Amino acid sequence: MTQSSLKDIFVLIKQVPDQSAKAGINPDGTIDRAKAKRMLNPFDRYALQAALHTKKHYGGKVTAITMGPPAALEIILEALEHGVDCGYILSDKRLAASDTLATAYALHKVIKYIGHFDLIFCGLQTTDGDTAQVGPQIAERLSLPQTTYCEDFRIEENKVIAKRVVEGGYEWVKMEIPALITVANSYHHLEYKSFRGARMVQHLLRNEEEKNKYIKTITLDTIGAEPAKCGLRGSPTIVARTDKVSEIGGSCKIHQGASQEQLVSEIIQSTNIKEFLKL
Amino acid sequence: MSEGKILPEIITPSNKEVIVVGEQLNGEIRPVTLELLGAGRDLASKLGGSLSCVLLGHKLEKLPQKLISYGADIVYVADDSILENYQTLPYRRVIVDFLSGFTLPPHIVLLGSTTCGRDLAPRIAAHFETGLTADCTELDIGPYEHTNKIDPEKVGLYPNCLYAIRPSFGESLKARILGPWKNPQMATVRPGIMLPLKPDENHKGEIKTIPVDLKPEDYRAELIEVVHEVSKSVNLTEADVIVAGGFGLGKQDGFELIKELASCFENVAIGASRKVVDIGWIPYPYQIGQTGKSVRPKVYIACGISGAIQHRVGMSKSGLIIAINKDPEAPIFKFAHHGIVGDLYQIIPELIKQFKSNIVKEEKPLVRQN
Repeated sequence: MTQSSLKDIFVLIKQVPDQSAKAGINPDGTIDRAKAKRMLNPFDRYALQAALHTKKHYGGKVTAITMGPPAALEIILEALEHGVDCGYILSDKRLAASDTLATAYALHKVIKYIGHFDLIFCGLQTTDGDTAQVGPQIAERLSLPQTTYCEDFRIEENKVIAKRVVEGGYEWVKMEIPALITVANSYHHLEYKSFRGARMVQHLLRNEEEKNKYIKTITLDTIGAEPAKCGLRGSPTIVARTDKVSEIGGSCKIHQGASQEQLVSEIIQSTNIKEFLKL
Repeated sequence: MSEGKILPEIITPSNKEVIVVGEQLNGEIRPVTLELLGAGRDLASKLGGSLSCVLLGHKLEKLPQKLISYGADIVYVADDSILENYQTLPYRRVIVDFLSGFTLPPHIVLLGSTTCGRDLAPRIAAHFETGLTADCTELDIGPYEHTNKIDPEKVGLYPNCLYAIRPSFGESLKARILGPWKNPQMATVRPGIMLPLKPDENHKGEIKTIPVDLKPEDYRAELIEVVHEVSKSVNLTEADVIVAGGFGLGKQDGFELIKELASCFENVAIGASRKVVDIGWIPYPYQIGQTGKSVRPKVYIACGISGAIQHRVGMSKSGLIIAINKDPEAPIFKFAHHGIVGDLYQIIPELIKQFKSNIVKEEKPLVRQN
């Protein structure tokens, strides 16, 4: 096996509302992002692990990139605590209400602005959008080969060999570098924060000048993005309305308050479940 | 909002064609393609346009004819050895070239929310800089009044918009997403939700060959191995019975109990909620719900699954839903057919016990003399 070495690994991460926390969840089910508890998109933890794994085995520097309000600094710091080397936050009011196409446009401009990369890792999708579209849309903008639903990979002779989970099986894809990978949640869990990373973040929090060296906050002007292609104006889709899903059913027969023998026997008696038993 | 003023009607150019991007595997059309044709037929008749399907593969033989019997008026076929299995770049190239070849763009392009559709659709949409809505559960056609003046030239009444409807925020919302300014309007649709038409051998359609003209950069990725583990376990989407576990199991080992319960059944598969997949108790292929698989088994046993909308959209069409949960307020009790409120670590062993004694009882008549 030939040793492969990489120089630049990018990982795209996003801060999302914590939907398991009650705070900021309006009675109609929408989210008040200002009040909601914030967290790193859970799917991005796998992307971070993939990026850090790549660095550990094949070398290179890991850059975390996010787009969001200034509070997104929190997840860049979290990424640094895990061992990421530096971060970029694209923060601009003109990005508000971006759909996936506008988001991918803005992020691909950030990537072009930063410059050289070998691999880009993304989470499979986000928990607030659930679309899984931004990764492949960035790959399209940058004309990259991609592997989505990736749960394992290695690098050989300057090619990535990636395992992609598909319905009822998997496949292995060999890609030229540079390439983009979206990481499935069957990939390895994110390891604990590193002592070095945590110390680094403590240091940066005490020293603004140092912080600005490692974490850069940039705007559409910095990256030369066209404002008309960003935010609401640059989004080909809009949410025209949202409806509360009507409470369906109400016809569920509830079995409770008896012994488990009784409850189970009621179920068996009142359904056709026995027909499906193995004889 | 419009203060009595009549908005100008804005017609976005299109040829009124609804195109389904088909999927095939090992000489079979994937079920989601037939479902999309069912949904697409309805959209095409509302638009007054035609329904077509584009199918990529190798040695497709009778498959295009099958698509016609399921409602396609035109089947566009790309048959080439490189297209035998799905691969992002070659498939992307053929579809992009194909869609670029229309004088007026198609009105709607639909794909399945499969690992292929979710891989390909965003690339096509980004190439054409058009709107794409993911994982829809309902589709419709209707008008839209755009009154937001941020872009004054966009203000107007748009007839014939694709209403792409999907669950949102994992909770109890349904969002109607529109992209009226540009065609094609694109959506991916969850498998197992739309209903296919009854095949009609007399339905007439046309089969047209489309070019496969790959460029050197389309060979930057190579499929080196394809493994389908169909024999290892029953495919979730084809099982008669699914036993699914959720966060209420409390620990990863809980799936051992799920497996034991499943072993009582014939043609059974194991499923899981997103939460337990996210925390790594069971791999992603087992996930049922909005971002996993949609299933419609005859029996669905939900163990320790609360039943958030994101799970519900993937399984609510099951024949018989039995829920076991210790929280009587769990949303799953709103749409299950039978619910047991109790500790699953007591209920499931009891189920297994009674199933086993039932099996014995079932055998008794064979030896009993009447």
